Amino acid sequence: MTDKCFDIGTMQAFLDGELAAEMTETVARHVAACDECACLLAESEEESALTFSALEMELNALVPTQRLWTKINDSIAREKKSFWKPILAFLLQPQTAAFASLIFVAVLSVTLLSLKPNAPTNYVAQTGEIQQKTIQPIAKNQLSPPAQTPLLLPEEKNTETIKSVQNKAEYRAAKTAYVRPEKVLTDAKSRDTKSDALVPAVRENSGNILGEESYIKTIATLNTTVANRKDEILSPSARFAFERDLAVTDDAIARMKLEVRRNPKNEAAKQILRASYQNKIDLLNSVADKTELMASLD
Amino acid sequence: MKSEKAKVKTAFKNTITRRFSLLILAVCLVAPFSVAFSQTVKVEPKVVVAPLKQKTKIERKSVRRSIGTETSAEKSIAVDAKVNVSLCVREGILKINGWERNEIRAFVVGGSEVGFKVQQKNKQNDKAVWVMVTGSDPAKNKTVNSEECLSGEEIELDVPRGAAVNVKSRTSETTIQAVRRAVVKNIGGDISLNNIEQGINAATYQGDVTVENSGGAITLESANGNIVAFDIAPSEIGDIFKAKTNSGAISLQRIEHRQAEINSNSGSIKFAGEFQNGGQYNFGTQVGTISLAIPEKSSCKINALYGYGKFNSELKLAIITEDESSKAQRLVATIGGGDANVNLTTYSGAILIRKQ
Repeated sequence: MTDKCFDIGTMQAFLDGELAAEMTETVARHVAACDECACLLAESEEESALTFSALEMELNALVPTQRLWTKINDSIAREKKSFWKPILAFLLQPQTAAFASLIFVAVLSVTLLSLKPNAPTNYVAQTGEIQQKTIQPIAKNQLSPPAQTPLLLPEEKNTETIKSVQNKAEYRAAKTAYVRPEKVLTDAKSRDTKSDALVPAVRENSGNILGEESYIKTIATLNTTVANRKDEILSPSARFAFERDLAVTDDAIARMKLEVRRNPKNEAAKQILRASYQNKIDLLNSVADKTELMASLD
Repeated sequence: MKSEKAKVKTAFKNTITRRFSLLILAVCLVAPFSVAFSQTVKVEPKVVVAPLKQKTKIERKSVRRSIGTETSAEKSIAVDAKVNVSLCVREGILKINGWERNEIRAFVVGGSEVGFKVQQKNKQNDKAVWVMVTGSDPAKNKTVNSEECLSGEEIELDVPRGAAVNVKSRTSETTIQAVRRAVVKNIGGDISLNNIEQGINAATYQGDVTVENSGGAITLESANGNIVAFDIAPSEIGDIFKAKTNSGAISLQRIEHRQAEINSNSGSIKFAGEFQNGGQYNFGTQVGTISLAIPEKSSCKINALYGYGKFNSELKLAIITEDESSKAQRLVATIGGGDANVNLTTYSGAILIRKQ
């Protein structure tokens, strides 16, 4: 023995690999030279081997560690627990996913089955139905508005008529809307002739001339009607003439509007503007009337 | 070790179950779409083929059946002197003529049958006062639509002079003469009216309207065609003359109505004649010219609005107001005593007043 021998604790620590590198080297050098320590180390190794073999199952099972980790994880999870996690966890369960897929398929099948009557097979029949609706002739007396109706339609009513004029009621509404500006115009004319002083009183703050909004709404309604049907109603030459006339009228309206805004007292510009609006309504209405006549002859 | 194996087993089971359920889900998602797509593809040609054609075929068949081997059809019916005659024409040249007899005679060449449907009778003499002339004979074919339109190469109707005629047609050249009143609406084709005593309402969407030697309240409309009217007089006080076209020209001569409204969008207006005392005349165009040829001794007040257009008069005007400064030019002037009111409105057309 060259150096001082090490105690059993150090030897055990050496075997367990718990010593520092420098100390491990010293112990190894000493054991190589010292027979007693070598024997002690061998004994310790045997004891350790015996102990480990005896406790192998317990040590490998890691039950306490697993439990510990589970507890730690649970506590962490409890702290970070969110609202969606359990729902997500529930949804990710295979049984839930399978059930959800079945429900989805069922809903999809029902939807497809319910859509089937509108499938292309019946599409033409549907078109035919629409045409049948449009062929309803409208009696002249139905076109005139009721005596007590206000000059301007409420906003909602007009937008409803704009949406579609495929059926009789809506078409009638569009026609009623058409008739109104004439009344406005008549009123305006009568006021003009009776008393010019009344006109500024009726003028709106926005600078719009008398009844302009009514004209605009009527034109919008008729525009929608005509836009839907003009391709099938008008021949190419008639369509060309129609578009040209419309462009001319639009130009007149735009210029006269500008003039009225520049000089709100310019009665001449206002009259030309009114006439242009009326021309545009007449123009659009000629197409609408043609549609009506064609429908009545089908 | 056993517990580890159990763990592995559970994990494997879970994985397999999850993957299997995902696979089922994917299959279920794709299957309905593929079925729907296959159905759509199968159905698509049916949409293109369109039963509308079939409908047309059916209509034609029925028409052909009704024609048979005949080349013409003729029928007549005794009616009241002031009968109302209604008819619709699918195609053909239509001629309606007033005669002295109190009966209607219909004659169709190369087309449909002829039938009469009495809508109303006079209780005093039991004669029809409202008759529909149809393209099928209700006596022969009870199953065929009794309101079928007439069609043929030529369709001729003789009606009492006191008859009021109401015609709707798709494509026809319509000529009506010597009846009491006429209402005509054409989708396409010219309308010619002559010697109508108590009022006209004529509209065509593609064609010209010509009226001569007629009276009463007159309303003439054409979408793209011209309007020509001459020797027109009111039958009652308050009768109005109206003429309106979008892109055609309007030519008027010797209109004796005291109230007239004449409008053309892009066409020109020509008026030749006298303005009646106390009359109210409105002429309007968007870009067309308004040309008035009136006697030198006319008495009217001119109120002209001509926007970007121009004004020119051969007659002497006593100017009341003139505003050429703005972009909406205005001129108010009188000719003679200023008895009639003449409003002339154009956006960019010219207004010309000439001596007649």
